[in-house]
Amino acid sequence: MPVPAGEQTYRIRVSRSASNGISTGVHQFEVALEERMTVLDALLRIQQQQDSSLSFRYACRVGMCGTCAMSINGVPRLACRTRVRFLETATVCVDPLPNLPVIKDLVVSLEPFFEQWKRILPAFRPADPAATELASIPETSVYARQTASKRDCITCGACYAACGVKSTSGEYLGPAAINKAFLRLMDPRDRAVKERLSVLNQERGGIWRCHTQFNCTAVCPKGIPLTDSITRLKRAMLFPARFNKS
Amino acid sequence: MSAFAIQVRRYRDQFSGMTAHIVQRVTGLLLLIYLFLHVRTIHELAKGPAAFNAALATFRNPLIKLLEIALLGTVILHALNGVRITLIDLGWGHERQRRLFWAYTVGLGALIFLAGAIPLFLSSVLGV
Repeated sequence: MPVPAGEQTYRIRVSRSASNGISTGVHQFEVALEERMTVLDALLRIQQQQDSSLSFRYACRVGMCGTCAMSINGVPRLACRTRVRFLETATVCVDPLPNLPVIKDLVVSLEPFFEQWKRILPAFRPADPAATELASIPETSVYARQTASKRDCITCGACYAACGVKSTSGEYLGPAAINKAFLRLMDPRDRAVKERLSVLNQERGGIWRCHTQFNCTAVCPKGIPLTDSITRLKRAMLFPARFNKS
Repeated sequence: MSAFAIQVRRYRDQFSGMTAHIVQRVTGLLLLIYLFLHVRTIHELAKGPAAFNAALATFRNPLIKLLEIALLGTVILHALNGVRITLIDLGWGHERQRRLFWAYTVGLGALIFLAGAIPLFLSSVLGV
């Protein structure tokens, strides 16, 4: 088939699995894409024009929801924010996110990710749950300054998939959960300090397993400095009295 | 630029932290092997001067001298990268960790290595 003007043909290699998660090998597709098209556009074209059984997830298409995270050329990224042209290769390898169980093709279960997320008690625990007045956090406060760039997590699982420690330890919390714990522990209004610290201090799955590899920071589509959160929290945990809130 | 070169460049730019981690692990293992060899050789002293001299004589060949130079490089990489990790853990150089690895660990490490390796090579291997 002739390639339309202004389009370039790319070879997309997709790791596929049956609906029970068992691998069925790598399937190769040739797709003509315009200059600004993304990996998600490529997958949609394959699904519409070549193989309607190809499974993958997406929702917002603008990098807000984190649903379309997958491994692209070996790096966890959001398919909707990855322009094929910028990958600088004629062949693009697309795989499901590592460290997570595959449901079908590029669809993974985020259940293990959220199991770890739940362990650190992600919800805000105020001192007085019955209080009706809204507490304010000044922009100039230490908490606001330290956490400004760390509140944008979209729970896409890219950091969890890229983490070298996570790939060898199923019990490890993972960067996103630790970042969430950091946000809660540093929040002067939150009171569930002891519970969160006991989870973070666990020998096998706690924060001390982090080897400062920076993979999480490198792949985070929102640019959150996750390793910074982890090292800051490690330092703060050496002096737990720091978390006592009045 | 070849596809391989593009991938190497990308990995270098994006995953310096992981590269540093692997370097630290590999050099650590090599130093552990050296440590066993070192203790084993020193242990010969317990058997007397003759035994110790005989053990040392096995290291007097050019290949071992080259390995000694490689050992110098291993120690430098492991030590400088260890300082880098400590600085990051203490909260210094977090945003500059990539540059810290390539300029400080690799760049400065290479300079120190050359300063030590060249005289070692000239005296031990070439006998100048």
